[in-house]
Amino acid sequence: MNILVCIKQVPAKDAPLAIAGNWIKESDIGFEMNEPDSYALEEALRLKEKHGGEVIVLSLGPERVKQTIKEALAKGADRGIHIADDNFAELDPLGAAKVLAAAIGKEKIDLVLTGLQSDDHGFGQTGVLLAALLNLPHATIIMQIDVQEGSSSGTTAPRLMKLKRELEAGWFQWIECPLPAVLSIQSGINKVRYATLKGIMAAKKKEIATVTREALGVSAESTQKIEKIYVPTKTKKTEFLTGPPKEVAAKLVEKLKFEARVI
Amino acid sequence: MTMQREQLEADVLIVGAGPAGLSCALHLANLIKQHNASGAKPELSAENIYVLEKGREIGAHQLSGAIMNPKALAELVPGFEKSAPLDTPVTDSAALLFTEKHSYRAPITPPPFNNTGNYVISLSKVVKWLGGLVEAAGVNLFKEFGGADLIYEGDGIAGVITEDKGLDKNGKPKANYTPGYELRAKVTVLAEGTRGSLTKQLVAKKHLDNINPQSYGIGIKELWDVQPGKIKPGYVAHTLGWPISTKMYGGGWIYGLSNNRISIGLVIALEYENSRFDPHAAFQTWKTHPFVRNILEGGKLVRYGAKSLPYGGWYAMPRNFMDGGLIAGDSGSFLDSQRLKGVHLAMKSGMLAAETIFEALKKGDYSANTLKLYKEKIDHSYIKEELWKVRNFHQSFRNGMLDGFFHSAIQQITGGAGLVDPMHAHAGHEAYKPIFGRPAPERFKGDGKLTFDRLTDVYHSGTRHDEDQPCHLKVQDLNICSTKCVEEFGNPCQYFCPAAVYEMVKEGSTLKLKINAANCVHCKTCDIADPYQIIDWVVPEGGGGPNYDGM
Amino acid sequence: MKILVITEQRQGKWNNTSFETLVAAQQIAAAASGTVSTVVIGKGVAALADEVASKNVADVSIVEHDLLDSYTPDGYCTALKQVVESAKPDLVLFPHTYQVRDFAPKLAASLGKGMIGDCVGFRNEGGKLVFVRQMFQGKTAADVTFLGAGPWFASFQSGAFRADQLAAHSSKAPVNAVAVTLDAADIRTKPLEVFKEAKSAVDLTQAPLIVSIGRGIKAPENIAQAEALAKAMGAEIAASRPICDEGWLPMERQIGSSGQTVAPKLYLALGISGAIQHVVGMKGARTIVAVNKDQNAPIFEIADYGIVADIFEVMPALTEELQKAKG
Repeated sequence: MNILVCIKQVPAKDAPLAIAGNWIKESDIGFEMNEPDSYALEEALRLKEKHGGEVIVLSLGPERVKQTIKEALAKGADRGIHIADDNFAELDPLGAAKVLAAAIGKEKIDLVLTGLQSDDHGFGQTGVLLAALLNLPHATIIMQIDVQEGSSSGTTAPRLMKLKRELEAGWFQWIECPLPAVLSIQSGINKVRYATLKGIMAAKKKEIATVTREALGVSAESTQKIEKIYVPTKTKKTEFLTGPPKEVAAKLVEKLKFEARVI
Repeated sequence: MTMQREQLEADVLIVGAGPAGLSCALHLANLIKQHNASGAKPELSAENIYVLEKGREIGAHQLSGAIMNPKALAELVPGFEKSAPLDTPVTDSAALLFTEKHSYRAPITPPPFNNTGNYVISLSKVVKWLGGLVEAAGVNLFKEFGGADLIYEGDGIAGVITEDKGLDKNGKPKANYTPGYELRAKVTVLAEGTRGSLTKQLVAKKHLDNINPQSYGIGIKELWDVQPGKIKPGYVAHTLGWPISTKMYGGGWIYGLSNNRISIGLVIALEYENSRFDPHAAFQTWKTHPFVRNILEGGKLVRYGAKSLPYGGWYAMPRNFMDGGLIAGDSGSFLDSQRLKGVHLAMKSGMLAAETIFEALKKGDYSANTLKLYKEKIDHSYIKEELWKVRNFHQSFRNGMLDGFFHSAIQQITGGAGLVDPMHAHAGHEAYKPIFGRPAPERFKGDGKLTFDRLTDVYHSGTRHDEDQPCHLKVQDLNICSTKCVEEFGNPCQYFCPAAVYEMVKEGSTLKLKINAANCVHCKTCDIADPYQIIDWVVPEGGGGPNYDGM
Repeated sequence: MKILVITEQRQGKWNNTSFETLVAAQQIAAAASGTVSTVVIGKGVAALADEVASKNVADVSIVEHDLLDSYTPDGYCTALKQVVESAKPDLVLFPHTYQVRDFAPKLAASLGKGMIGDCVGFRNEGGKLVFVRQMFQGKTAADVTFLGAGPWFASFQSGAFRADQLAAHSSKAPVNAVAVTLDAADIRTKPLEVFKEAKSAVDLTQAPLIVSIGRGIKAPENIAQAEALAKAMGAEIAASRPICDEGWLPMERQIGSSGQTVAPKLYLALGISGAIQHVVGMKGARTIVAVNKDQNAPIFEIADYGIVADIFEVMPALTEELQKAKG
């Protein structure tokens, strides 16, 4: 089973954000693998362990993202593809997905996995857009993947997956989905493995192919523009409620019902 | 738990990717390259050099002021001026005396505070850059791996065992449990930094102590972005006086970096009498001095961090060579406490270790007999030259600042000998005086703009640890905390920890120790300063700890 | 400007955030002189369509088909593409639900258009529509605008608009059935059974109401009082790190820099001091109520309503008031 995982490199979770226009100052901060994508990678590695095949890691961005691709290789991915683009932070979801889809289109892939969303932009659209652009079936917020090998009639029918999808409010659903397909993986569904020393050393010898957006024949057009990012200003003033407990409780319930209208 | 650990073998294992460890790796890789290029035999490989780094990134746990003397870097990386990310050369060196309301600049900056020719740097950045060079040289650099235990063999060491990963807080394996490796090497270099946990174990077990136990200080640092015009890049000031009493040893620093960024901090020797002294609070108080407050006006806190530093110098230097092992950097006491310079000495010690190992690799002999070359090289290098001159410096201050100035002045004109040579030191944790029932002081709160409480500061250290793992602060006897320590010293851990890890909480009628291990910034102060020496800092799961980007 | 709102229902029951989206649409229409059309999609949704028709909207389109009885991304996209092509709206709006996340970007892409998702608001800047969304997990806000011609696609975060502000209308808007062509071959995934799991992991990020406890709760036996309060309110229970550290509540209930980041409609902080590690996980909440004995607790700096009192007195009183309000 050939699985491709889209992985994004994002600013480290605890990095102090220095805003510069519509992005952040990249000097003096660390970068790391987008945490939701690490669950997708883990899922891919487990599927490979179960069904054989290859796990390819794909990442879009400047030179620094090769570091994150290496981390994925150290965990067990077989090879990596780096789409070099220094301006990728400016790309909108559709533009980024077009580039990724162009690269994926050149490979023979059974399954494309993505994380739910990125910790920086948080668009959460990549998986769905890839499915649309590659004309593949898809499902999102997947908690479990069961690949059913072959079919009961014994013919070489396309393989099928049984997927567990999360719905709101504690509900779940099973879905049948044929391969090839695109899935976005829910965070926290597995315990992400550690890179082993051997894995880190082996990663040095694994291939990372570099390709550019231009070479893939994708033009840089956007459907939307981030005008600016900013820290939302606080305009609220605290209203203190006083009185004996019963009174203050009644006051609060009234405020919550009629003023804030949250209950 | 007994289990089968995966075994790996290297030629050289370096524990710690700080200035000492990386300089050792890079220098050795360069020597090997030249050696192979010349066709000499046996052929060696830089790929058989393994470096372990417990941080998530190279440089993540590096904290220093820092002013760097470039002499070691110049040897290690010729042409460093063009390639190294040094922030700014020092343009002005000031020695300031603070009183509560005023500051006085010494008309002539005393030589130890004169930093002309040196650079103001972010140690984290420089180390990160060095790490890049080390990797490019083919060395295997493993991030998120720590040395948890030593492998002893014969009279020396034969490698380390890395930490177990994926254990829950009760020590039970989780789904992704990965036991630590048995990493063997012909030579293991301990370059763990200040109060290295493996080094501490090794020195105790093999009796490697020198005539003085190591003395330590704690350095607490904040990185700020200030209003333009407040400070010039390359401005370096060291302050003495307020708010540190003359009975204590310590002082502040203000370093101007480029782009209106400054590094400020306070160092205090961990050998004071008041068991409830709060170094973090002292630092925050120091910031309220008019001179500092003015610089910080309208500025913003960027990062916070803390680290201990080894003050003991030459006479506290443990034996640093043995069968299969060497000790370099802060772990080996290579810090000039008078000039507060440790980076170049750490680097030089790493390079000398590399040269020693290179000879051993050629000979195929890794015994103490061959590795003693390390000590000989140190003795003939500027490491000894510099440290010998200040060998009694820190000890002079055991009775306070005025006493210290007197002794060190005499040492200055006697090549370091002074009136008493060697001057002895006591372990800092023995200096505490009992509290005799004195009520506990009120805790510092901070105003949230200029000064901060510890929790707010710790948030800005970027420290994180997986919460579900065994506590890495091993207290040998918690009963002592609830009984003896409450009475005698009032639980100093609550005060000296700059990350609010330790708390005494009331449970019924007793006080019990609560450890917020996830806050830990790996400064090692608790391991050093606990009065009963029952706290053992051990390496947590790799990757955990602070994020000192830009520090 | 013609705005088309795609509402969401499942088995005849509304996803109520649809009404919030209608409010957003009404406000955008007011600001940009537009009209609000709505779509109800599924099977057997006539009653729901009628309900929408009584609100202040221009018209309601019912999109029904056997193959739309159960949601599938292929089914919804194929049908709605046809609806959008014929209705020719300038702006298509959705509530940002799990389902919308599953198909809306694909719908937009099938028309060669982009989507700005998970918006928390909008502004009309001299005729230009600016959509506001969060980035860096709520640490910053971002102003985003569309480039190029419409139709534009956007979704609004739950709680960004208040459903109770939905204006009704005196007369009923016209309800039209819109025919769509759908073939079983179009639908590649097969939806199977929907079920609730006995021990489902809690996703606090989806909880609209949260009651959170801090150190002030003092002992695990006291948590029951907070849980009773949460139950009376219909809220989820959460906690600051020390509580989860002690094991008094499971780790997935933790809010803060090392736990979950939430932005519910209401966050009630009981006995929480407001250290920055906790605050970064919840300051995006729309309404914050804090109860703490210490009037100087930093939590009050970000609270909308503050009560300086003993939580052990306030919790039972509040529980009682809430039960009265319900009953």
